[in-house]
Amino acid sequence: MNKSAKEGRGHPADDGRGVIKVGMSSCGIAAGAGEVFEALTKEAKGRGLNLEIKKCGCVGSCYAEPLVEVRLPCLPTVLYSRVNKEIALRILDEHIVNKRLLNDLIIDLPMKR
Amino acid sequence: MSTTPTIILIKDTRLAGVDTTRDVQNVFEKCLKEAGIESHVQAVRAADMGVYERGVVVKLLPQNVFYGNVKDEDVSLIVNKTLKKGELVEHLALRNLPSQVRVVLRNCGVINPESMEEYIQEKGYEGLRKCLLHLTPAQVIDEMKKSGLRGRGGAGFPTWMKWNLARSSVAEQKYVICNGDEGDPGAYMDRSVLEGDPHSVIEGMIIAGYAIGASKGFFYIRAEYPLAVERIHLAIKQAYEGGFLGQNILGTKFSFDLDVRLGAGAFVCGEETALMASIEGKRGTPRPRPPFPTQAGLWEKPTIINNVETLANVPVIFQRGGDWFSAIGTEKSKGTKVFAITGKVKNSGLVEIPMGITMREIVYGIGGGAADGKKVLAVQTGGPSGGVIPESHFDTPVSYEHLQELGSIMGSGGMIVMDEDDCMIDIVKFYLGFCVEESCGKCAPCRIGGYQMLKLLEKISEGNGTDQDVASIKRIAKAMQKASLCALGQTAPNPVLSTLRYFEDEYKQHIGDKKCRAGKCGKLLQYRIMPDKCKKCRLCQLKCPSNAVVGDKEKGYEVVQAKCVKCGVCYEVCKFEAVERI
Repeated sequence: MNKSAKEGRGHPADDGRGVIKVGMSSCGIAAGAGEVFEALTKEAKGRGLNLEIKKCGCVGSCYAEPLVEVRLPCLPTVLYSRVNKEIALRILDEHIVNKRLLNDLIIDLPMKR
Repeated sequence: MSTTPTIILIKDTRLAGVDTTRDVQNVFEKCLKEAGIESHVQAVRAADMGVYERGVVVKLLPQNVFYGNVKDEDVSLIVNKTLKKGELVEHLALRNLPSQVRVVLRNCGVINPESMEEYIQEKGYEGLRKCLLHLTPAQVIDEMKKSGLRGRGGAGFPTWMKWNLARSSVAEQKYVICNGDEGDPGAYMDRSVLEGDPHSVIEGMIIAGYAIGASKGFFYIRAEYPLAVERIHLAIKQAYEGGFLGQNILGTKFSFDLDVRLGAGAFVCGEETALMASIEGKRGTPRPRPPFPTQAGLWEKPTIINNVETLANVPVIFQRGGDWFSAIGTEKSKGTKVFAITGKVKNSGLVEIPMGITMREIVYGIGGGAADGKKVLAVQTGGPSGGVIPESHFDTPVSYEHLQELGSIMGSGGMIVMDEDDCMIDIVKFYLGFCVEESCGKCAPCRIGGYQMLKLLEKISEGNGTDQDVASIKRIAKAMQKASLCALGQTAPNPVLSTLRYFEDEYKQHIGDKKCRAGKCGKLLQYRIMPDKCKKCRLCQLKCPSNAVVGDKEKGYEVVQAKCVKCGVCYEVCKFEAVERI
């Protein structure tokens, strides 16, 4: 059972490996998620980061696409909005490597599952 | 304090005034340093916290503590009390916020839609397992009855009843159809579910098949949704490989096959009888009911047709129980509803709310109000079959019954927000124009009535309307409602009737005063150059396509109304706002 996926946003990943999820439904792709996904995959590899980068559906906040969720074992999980290629690289360098969250990009909506 | 480092999300949620998010962040950082926990706690500026007009809002993660109206002096209190001792600062805590409840969209944005393993990790196919191994078809329908789920495609027919009717029809072959022909302007929740969580719809269809005794199902998806089609195809393939489709599912005697049919984009094919004709390879036109599809549907066999969102609810009902489901929502409208909220709203997108919360909570609480700080005038729900709900009725709970009382419908869940720049006649012309375009032409009330009504509306919007025209519109509307063959024609007059009900003044303005408040009805406008603001740059004269701007650098310029074609170019190009539109 993948517990981390169940616990939802705000909680850290618990299996030791960081996970990045990119919203890749029509709305995300139209806003440029494909490019972001590619950049993350390529650059994470280039930086030698042990990350799982995967696609997911649309979480509903279409106005804020592309959305990228970052789940690390050591930090609460957050969702970045309006991510482009450049922000994607900042996420890798600042959030993943330095464990410093990026300002002015996180969205956090009240939601019960 | 927990071992996970804390993050503090900060956002100034006031719509007007200076944004103080950065200042509060500085205060937090200073305070954290003084407390000696700056290495363990990060203060971060957020982009959106989903609450509005609550001053500076602060959220602590992973504690999930939410504070509002935070002042600089409260910061040390939060740091010392909540962060160091784990106590709540009562007077700042935000409670009972309008919150989304994710039932249909539970997996959207959470799992990888291309992976069946991830769906199974989220309890996917557990509901199916329970049905096939532990429940009889009659018990499945009983559980559906307990849940109170009603069709999410528009009319709100109780799902269990539809299933029960099909179950009691005797036939060798029965069918299950998933209606994914989502065509209402502004509605796209079905696409999102198909793209974000395809297996949940498949699971819903298999359960439906088991309940009614069908061995074959069809997805009917519009061809304009290529990604949804691709992901459904992949998910069906995976479900076959996983033993959830095909012969002897989960080792039982039940077998079920699924296939995909693409709709070619005709709106009327979302109507169930037209949809079945289309699957049969015939021209997609509706036929009179009865017989209802549950008696004689696809190829004259008993058939149920459920909407994507309805089917996505089904697996959860069996995972968590019909009682759990019916605890959400109002007395007669159970569960949640997904709305696609678009138009002049700040946060456009999908929202899933429990039935019974008010329109105000959706538009202002979750949608963030109108974009650009304008005033919200109304919300249109239910697409071309729905109506307009004015701001004065925003405190009405959102449910099938309440929306109907207001002259609108739940519909598939499109919600288009309109602000003061929108003209109701213009909006209605759009919706009616859509229905006229999409009318299949088979029955006269819809084909002729819609066209004539649109002509009358055009006449009004051009300033040639009379009171008699409004009476004619009402008469045609009644005929269409009573005599059209299918819901497309029966409901096409709804936007017109609801605007006549709530915005009669606008019709009177267009007819009597020959004025359009919003400036949308081009023929009613006059363009005028204001001599005191005009810098005599001549740009309007150069751009005017009909040589209606006359004058020279000495005397100034003016618009000759007789020549003006009301294209608005002069208004748009003027850099000094010297052209007025009245």
